[in-house]
Amino acid sequence: MIFHDLFWYSEKSGQRFGKDMTNPSTDREQRVLHLYERVLEIEQRLIPTGLHVFGLPSADREIRDLLQVVASFDRPEMGIRALTELVAEGMSFPSYQTLLKESASSSERMTEREQVESITREAITIFIETESQRASEFLLNRANVAAEQSLKVFSMLAGLLHQLETNNELDSLVRALGGRYIEPGPGADIVQNPSILPTGRNTHAVNPYAVPSPSAVRRAAPVAEALLSRHLDETGRYPESIAMVLWGIDNIKTEGEAVAQALHLMGVAPRRDSLGRATDVEIIPLDKLNRPRIDVVMTVSGIFRDLFGSTMALLDRAARTVAMLDEPADMNYLRRHTGEQISEGGSFDEAAVRVFSNAAGNYGTNVNFMVLESQWEDSRELGDLFVTRKCFAYGRDSEGRQFEGREARALLERALERVEVTYQNIDSFEVGITDVDHYFEYLGGVTKAVEKRAARPRVYLSDTLSPAAKVRTLEETIHLEARTKLLNPRWQEGMLKHGFSGVAEIEHQVTNTFGWSATADAVDEWVYDKVAETFVLDEEMLKRLSALNPHSARVMVGRLLEAAGRGYWSANGEVLSRLQEVFTGLEDRIEGVSG
Amino acid sequence: MKITVFYVGTSLLSPLKRAEEEINRQSDIGLEVSTHNCGAALANDEWARAEMDVSDSHIVFIIHVTDQENASRISSAIDRNRERLRAVIAFNCMPDLMRRTRMGKLDFAALMKSRDTSEKENDSRSIARKIGSWMAETIRGRREKKNGHANPAQYLKLISKMPAILKFVPATGRLGDIKNYLFLFCYFLQPSPANIRSMLVYAIKHYGGVKARMEIAPPEQMPVVGIYHPDADKIFDSFDTYRKWRERKLKKRLEPATTIGLLLMRPQIISEARQHYDGLIRAIEREKLSVIPAISTFMDNRDACREFFIEEGKARVSQIVSLTGFSFVGGPAMNDATASVEFFKELDVPFRSLVSLDVQTIENWEQSRTGLNAVQAAMQVAIPEIDGAVEPFVFGGLSGRGVQPEPIEDRCQRIARRLARWNRLQTAPRSAVRLAIVMFCFPPNKGNIGTAADLDVFPSLMEILARLKSEGYSVTVPATAEELRKVVLEGNSDETGLLANVAYRMSVDEYRRLCPYVSDIEREWGSAPGVINANGRELFMLGAHLGNIFVCVQPTFGYEGDPMRMLAAESATPHHGFMALYTYIEKVFRADAVIHTGTHGALEFMPGKQAGLSSSCWPDRLMGELPNVYLYSVNNPSEGTIARRRSYAELISYLTPPVENAGLHRELATMKELLAAYRRTTDDAERDQLYEAIEAQARQMNLT
Repeated sequence: MIFHDLFWYSEKSGQRFGKDMTNPSTDREQRVLHLYERVLEIEQRLIPTGLHVFGLPSADREIRDLLQVVASFDRPEMGIRALTELVAEGMSFPSYQTLLKESASSSERMTEREQVESITREAITIFIETESQRASEFLLNRANVAAEQSLKVFSMLAGLLHQLETNNELDSLVRALGGRYIEPGPGADIVQNPSILPTGRNTHAVNPYAVPSPSAVRRAAPVAEALLSRHLDETGRYPESIAMVLWGIDNIKTEGEAVAQALHLMGVAPRRDSLGRATDVEIIPLDKLNRPRIDVVMTVSGIFRDLFGSTMALLDRAARTVAMLDEPADMNYLRRHTGEQISEGGSFDEAAVRVFSNAAGNYGTNVNFMVLESQWEDSRELGDLFVTRKCFAYGRDSEGRQFEGREARALLERALERVEVTYQNIDSFEVGITDVDHYFEYLGGVTKAVEKRAARPRVYLSDTLSPAAKVRTLEETIHLEARTKLLNPRWQEGMLKHGFSGVAEIEHQVTNTFGWSATADAVDEWVYDKVAETFVLDEEMLKRLSALNPHSARVMVGRLLEAAGRGYWSANGEVLSRLQEVFTGLEDRIEGVSG
Repeated sequence: MKITVFYVGTSLLSPLKRAEEEINRQSDIGLEVSTHNCGAALANDEWARAEMDVSDSHIVFIIHVTDQENASRISSAIDRNRERLRAVIAFNCMPDLMRRTRMGKLDFAALMKSRDTSEKENDSRSIARKIGSWMAETIRGRREKKNGHANPAQYLKLISKMPAILKFVPATGRLGDIKNYLFLFCYFLQPSPANIRSMLVYAIKHYGGVKARMEIAPPEQMPVVGIYHPDADKIFDSFDTYRKWRERKLKKRLEPATTIGLLLMRPQIISEARQHYDGLIRAIEREKLSVIPAISTFMDNRDACREFFIEEGKARVSQIVSLTGFSFVGGPAMNDATASVEFFKELDVPFRSLVSLDVQTIENWEQSRTGLNAVQAAMQVAIPEIDGAVEPFVFGGLSGRGVQPEPIEDRCQRIARRLARWNRLQTAPRSAVRLAIVMFCFPPNKGNIGTAADLDVFPSLMEILARLKSEGYSVTVPATAEELRKVVLEGNSDETGLLANVAYRMSVDEYRRLCPYVSDIEREWGSAPGVINANGRELFMLGAHLGNIFVCVQPTFGYEGDPMRMLAAESATPHHGFMALYTYIEKVFRADAVIHTGTHGALEFMPGKQAGLSSSCWPDRLMGELPNVYLYSVNNPSEGTIARRRSYAELISYLTPPVENAGLHRELATMKELLAAYRRTTDDAERDQLYEAIEAQARQMNLT
């Protein structure tokens, strides 16, 4: 039984047991540690517990968790080290990053990690309840952290606290309406970049020529390698071709980390001209790369296309350069694939196109509209729609002529046929993959498009906004999101505080989860069981939702029925008929309301 | 005699062409000046023409070229023709190109190579080396960093003294060639038509190998800074002389409240390549606004602002509009946004930066579905945004037909009118200011009215309305957020069956009368009024009037129940209901400004160019002349930037919601206890038991 479970587990999560299989007790230790790590991952994940009201400071917000996470990042630009790293160092443990990476496989590391976290947490609590000095003394005594170091962190946290207690948004609005100057400011998650505060500023993007920045290049390589080694672990080989979704949002916040990942997968790095602009690529030699160059098909959002025109050119140039390298085909998949396509009768310019986006002046895949409005019959239509919207090629041909959105459906289809992995970089916990409809329209859309032409690819997401970046499968990510948000009373109650809008948020979360069924069939049935149980079969909850916002409650129940009707959820008959009954009841109620 | 000039920008073409004509009128050397604008990478066919030109030229000038690809191609073409070319003269280029400078005995490559070899070089080498590296550093912006801040004015002063100094330099040998280089540089830095002509003649005389009897005037000195006006016959060296002239002419005072400060590029003024400036200035004056068009040294625009726009710490202007196309402090190669922001905060005057098409032609921009090319979008839009610039309109540029930059009239008018709108916001009594507050509803169902990422919209509106009331705006504030919701959601929606209350019914006649784009929309969506927010005769504006404030609901793209439209690769136009709402806001309700509430709506994603919109782009048509203030989630700089560029929005960022650890609820908490107990215990029997419990629990809760 246990063995069966272990096999099942090892297949599903990709952990390899190999030689340990002969030693059940070690396996058991590993399994327990693995589960323990999973539970901590859930417990420690940051989630929003409400909505913002414009102009109001969040005085009563529970601040400790946020401060703890903010204090867990090195901030070299401010000369500040992570509190967790300082504690780990003071305790003579390996670095906190190492502890995070190794705690799932070593009990000792797990114990050390928990110790570091608990000391840090206590220090933050002392800081909030008393003041910096006391917290710093505590750290000195408890973990041998130099006061000079910890005080820098607390001074940053004090600044953050102060800024959260005030709010300039209404003042700024009034100033804007009076035609005054509105100060610009960066945009990011608060954890990533506390200098987004104060809000009430005119958010700006970045200079595209600075992308990817040297630090983005540094951070990207290990993530790209982690993605490949995860695939290697699960399948025993490198993916020949990866379809990567590129967005503006993470590339602005990280100055191009995802761009740098794409370049690294192809085995190149940006080369800067004498003005520091990234306009060309440098080849990483194969003996240094130690693996084949991966073929990367870039499906780019209309927003990225607009904000990163010069980066589009850089990515196109990278693909063309790599495709032309005189290297063995089994070490350069891009070259192999373009070669194949040319032998089928294509030109080099056709075969080497890798940067695709919407037609100029258009945005989005419409896959989200199709799903939200239930306007599809066969899920393959969703993949086709993705291709229809995204098959416009961008770049420069061998004659040096720009093409800005040339329709190239056949070329995108040909490129997708070879794709084994679809992937997107995520650097935010504030915007999760079931919070908005854009993740499933893009990553789900491209996955469905590949599935129709080849087989269902493996789908991965990185989670780079963390002291130790992780690569997860789509399924793991969805289930983590469901457990921490939709199925978590803390999240539910946070939303319900906002009444009408809160119910709409719950409904969106259900609908966006459903979007992952429609596009990637990536939602386990138990999620739907639990959603139905929590929000519909629970009479008390149903009453609250229906009273606060019957319109959204109706859409949510309808979505569950749709999941069952389309075969993503085999709900039992009783549950279904109850859902049906509730749905009809809500419709009547709304009809009644609107006469 | 053939001279090829590689250049960047809009200012040089016109004086070069004028010089060519004039020289040919005055001599029989048969001068041919071929020019190539190298702002963006050339395509192969364009390059082939350029290379042909190099291969039968006698002299090549390379000016301001910083594009890597162009630079490499020019370098190798020069190298291939090295033996044949009589002189290669580079100014303000990247080091690779500077190195190609070769005139007589002067060879920058040799000088730059021998940099470290010997300290005891003769003076001629060191002069040239210093100049070479000075110029290379200048364009890289390093000098500014070293000295703390740029001081191009001082540098121009130095240059103005140079001809006098150079008189004492012997005219023969290598020193003579250095002298010639510096002379040419002096002409180039004051690129008046006369100086550019002199520059060509000087080069021809010394290196062209032809005997031409032509006078060469000493470099004509031009003012470093000043105020320009198309109606004046001279450049004003102080604000007071300008003011006197202007006030006499206008017969009224220059009031700060109605005066716009314009920052102009010096070379364009000196080169008399300024029709685009003239067009914009006149368009602004037609709106009854005054202007102070200041010539700026582009490295640090604060100098010109301090000199001409500020009097004893107070602004003489209501808005500052940069036409330089570069960052406010730092010039083309760097951007000191901190300094810019400090400056504007202290002065408290809003900042706009407009786009002149310098590295693409007007025709190319018009026809391009992208609009601005990547170089211009980065340099002239993305970088100024970091300084806080808003409303990145294109106002003019070079046409493929002409040699003078031209204004784009309809853009100039739109810019001017929007400036006037912003001025009205600055000065009108609050009780007279009318605002439209636009909410979103996506996907369209009643439950989603007031959808915005991270924001609880109705309580937010209550905060906003209350604040506006206290500021003196004339607004009726409902008692609670719930009541406000009812006013908007319910109202008469029972009778109409629509999503929300109908605040105004616009007849099809009125729609046709007020909106010039109806026929374009009808081609796509059929006869007005269509089916969205309409009843066959009228179009409905959903929302409610609360005094001078109109709270309304933006329709969506209108794909719902219309799979054919959803399946299209490209969308064409907004629907009638969408267009009608913004027509109503601008022309019937007569709003002074619009506030969009929260991340995000559909307007800024309507078809059109990506940046630098034209009058045929739908976001431009929808926004019209309305100032747009957009409340936007601070964690979404990407979609927010689209709103800034395509709907001319000023973003007001809002905070994201409070966050906490997810924590462990119910069975997850149990699971953690079981796992912790297992890790604690050393008793084998207990471990076996716990392990079974753990596996059972894991199965039950699908935890893998």
